[in-house]
Amino acid sequence: MEATLLRARGEKGSVSLDSFLRRGGYEGLRKALSIGAEAVTKEVINSELRGRGGAGFPTGRKWTFVPRDHPGPKYLVCNADESEPGTFKDREIMEVDPHLVLEGIAIASFAVGASTSYIYIRGEFVRWARILEAAIAEARERKFLGRNILGSGFDLDVWVYRGAGAYICGEETALLESLEGKRGFPRLKPPFPAIVGAFGKPTVVNNVETLACLPSIIMNGAVWFTSIGRPRNTGPKLYSVSGHVNRPGVYELPIGTTFREIIFEHCGGIRGGKALKAFFPGGSSAPVLAARDLDVRADFDACAEAGSMLGSGGVIVLDESVDMVEVACNLAHFYAHESCGQCTPCREGADWCMDILERILEGHGRPADPETLLRICRFASGGMTICPLGDAFSLPISSLVGKFPEDFERRIKPAAPLPTKKFPVLPWSRPGTGFGV
Amino acid sequence: MPQLVIDGRRIEVPTNTNLIEAARLAGIDIPYFCYHPYLTVVGQCRICLVEIEGQPRLAIACATPAAEGMIVRSETSPRVKEAREAVMEFLLANHPLDCPVCDQAGECLLQDHSMAEQGNRFATHMVETRRTFPGFERRLIGPHVVQNQNRCIHCSRCIRVTREISETSALTYKSRGNSTYIDTFDGGPFDDPFSACAADVCPVGALTIREFRFRKRAWKLRSTPSVCPGCSIGCNIWIDHDERLVYRFTPRENPDVNATWLCDYGRFLAESLNEEPATAVRHRVSGELLTVSRKEALLAIGQELRTARTLHIVASANLSTEELFLARELFAGELKGELVVPVDPGQPKRMKNGRGEWLNASDAHPNSSGARLLGLTIVDGERLRGFLGEAADLTVLLDPTAHPFLATDEALRLLRPRPTLVIGRGSHAMADLATWLVPGATQACNEGTFVSSLGALQRFSAAFAPSGEERPLWRILTWLAAALGASQLALSQPAEVFSLMASREKAFFGASWGSPETAGIEPPGEHQHVG
Repeated sequence: MEATLLRARGEKGSVSLDSFLRRGGYEGLRKALSIGAEAVTKEVINSELRGRGGAGFPTGRKWTFVPRDHPGPKYLVCNADESEPGTFKDREIMEVDPHLVLEGIAIASFAVGASTSYIYIRGEFVRWARILEAAIAEARERKFLGRNILGSGFDLDVWVYRGAGAYICGEETALLESLEGKRGFPRLKPPFPAIVGAFGKPTVVNNVETLACLPSIIMNGAVWFTSIGRPRNTGPKLYSVSGHVNRPGVYELPIGTTFREIIFEHCGGIRGGKALKAFFPGGSSAPVLAARDLDVRADFDACAEAGSMLGSGGVIVLDESVDMVEVACNLAHFYAHESCGQCTPCREGADWCMDILERILEGHGRPADPETLLRICRFASGGMTICPLGDAFSLPISSLVGKFPEDFERRIKPAAPLPTKKFPVLPWSRPGTGFGV
Repeated sequence: MPQLVIDGRRIEVPTNTNLIEAARLAGIDIPYFCYHPYLTVVGQCRICLVEIEGQPRLAIACATPAAEGMIVRSETSPRVKEAREAVMEFLLANHPLDCPVCDQAGECLLQDHSMAEQGNRFATHMVETRRTFPGFERRLIGPHVVQNQNRCIHCSRCIRVTREISETSALTYKSRGNSTYIDTFDGGPFDDPFSACAADVCPVGALTIREFRFRKRAWKLRSTPSVCPGCSIGCNIWIDHDERLVYRFTPRENPDVNATWLCDYGRFLAESLNEEPATAVRHRVSGELLTVSRKEALLAIGQELRTARTLHIVASANLSTEELFLARELFAGELKGELVVPVDPGQPKRMKNGRGEWLNASDAHPNSSGARLLGLTIVDGERLRGFLGEAADLTVLLDPTAHPFLATDEALRLLRPRPTLVIGRGSHAMADLATWLVPGATQACNEGTFVSSLGALQRFSAAFAPSGEERPLWRILTWLAAALGASQLALSQPAEVFSLMASREKAFFGASWGSPETAGIEPPGEHQHVG
């Protein structure tokens, strides 16, 4: 397949506007402006493009939730807070082709009627924020952004807003809170951002990769886009493969390529000739799949059928040397650290999971531990929490416990003694402190 | 008006009622920790999960509006029961469970729910050491609030109070995940004018009120409905007392006045009801202080009142409407004396009602509007000085705390050479120079009505009987009326005074002592402390 999203890869100076224009840049925007917002939305709906951020919600339908005749501003937010462990595809797009993202933003903003757009970029992405800012300045100068774009009367300002380093701010409502300058707490839904979003106005939040798909959909048409993949799972997809493979990296492939092809053909197989033990199909928040699931197609519906999810397309490959308890502990540590602390099951559950897994790793595992882990995960997922972070830690950990019980059993000795209990120090037993108040 | 079924009970509720309130109307209690009827809904605690027919996932009742035809299961659903037990396990995983030494015990939502739902069957799967916040176990975060972060269940009610009610945004979450803790935004002292409300709404013992901490167990207190004497807004309160001691004021729900809030100034007036009482009627004869029996004293005072040619009466806007009416009828009507009501504007105070509107106090007295309705002469400090400066055969002070001017040296100098009758507590400087001192009782022993500056006639009840010789002013006035032969005023209940007033005064026509519009009084019940 010819590269679409990463077609600028390997080209020298691909971030410049001139280079982008040589590749046919901003033609999609020009065409979108000429056919009108309705036609653009219709084309995107027909393309069956599904959000590439992880949830896989149809992008065109998301746009239609924005009230058409809303007085006052509407916003389009580009979610570039790529913090899912094992996912690094958006960074790649922004690095090689920032103008492609801007063109996508302009098309989407035009379609939903937004004249202000924010790129919420992960705080750690300093370099990529600078690349985008430079690209925005260049595009403004050449009238691809700003007032009266390409003489169409459509105005659009794009601002880069850097996050402050919280994983949860990749969740769209937490992102909006953070964008408003508040603490990154996910909001209760409904109302959904399409009705009450940034600054209380209708807002569409789209992922970088989703937006980068738009210019080619407009240029080549929905029929071309649906010709890739299968119904309801269409278009090119970026897979960021990491872990024990010979050639980790970002691969642009037709959606629905099997994991076997991704891992063994494109990534050159398992490092050191070892056997594959398991892989996460879509970032660390997706339930793990075992080696027997290699022939699952990497698209939204097939992954869901296999009991997992495509998520962001971050494939994490684990070879036979990996101990699943360590994997689970690593994940639990990450999610306990990143839980925002707002709602009970996730705040308490993630930390509790981490404590149990650390104790098992230290050699103090108890026979009841896997059961407890499964119970915590069960009651921290499936709508028990405000946002999907509860599911994000529960599903992979419960899948690790469920699919690789032998790894856990090996570390749990039947009558392992408990570590000495540390009782909290009472203030009056500490020298120099009084009785308090 | 959607109709729905909750746990098999069909009920019709107003539009936009959430399921917690709808269930309350149906007589079903859905547990909650983070929900508060006057704060925004955040859906954080997850204990209010209910099962709604046709929805695969459990929904939080606080954030789900009641809809037509909804079939909701709370107590009757095994799924809900299981999920709530799991949430309790999460909440209690890191809760210290130090109820025996926690001052919130007895009025703790977490404890109540734990006991109601789980009784003694609670078991946890947790063997790990609890999360603690060293150094945050008993931290004085402001003048009135003590924090124990170990007990916090992260419901964010206190944060929302400072954000939405006092509008200072003083409190915030700091840190993240399981190490999240509550602190003032800038780390400075939590000196919000509504700071104790943050402790009030705290469902657990994480925030407690310094003044009340460890003074009394909550279940030993009795609550009497009353009205805050702090300013003209007339916030509804409970006087929480045991024996003859007032321990605290807590807000009594009234959406039109103070919702469930109380400002720190008003709340901590509670202590002022516990002043040492004057034990007996005292008479000063040529510099010597004599103790007189009440019967003798009333006759002698009656005699003096009758013979005084110029009679000056300083009433007070702190008195109940009934007392003001009696004083007017007796002193101004019967005895043709000159009666004034001093009113002090005081410090500006405000309160937020249940609709989120600010109410501003017009002055520092609970009943200045009542005095105005009775057509009494209102004076400010300057005119009060002039009034006291005029020569009079007898000056009557019905409340030594009526105006701050009465506590000044100048007022004492003006009154010292004159014969004075003071009715009030023994600890005021005016009481020391009085020719006659008749011990009066505090609001905690009194019963009557106040008219707030919003125009609401609100009744307060007596928490306990007065001690020693002290009596409420209305009682002393009716005795004086009897001594003076004004038999139509010699009544035996405030309610009788009220009905006399309601029959004579235009402003009070049709008002009734017992009607809820008059009193806004609900019997002390299970929802007496919202929070």
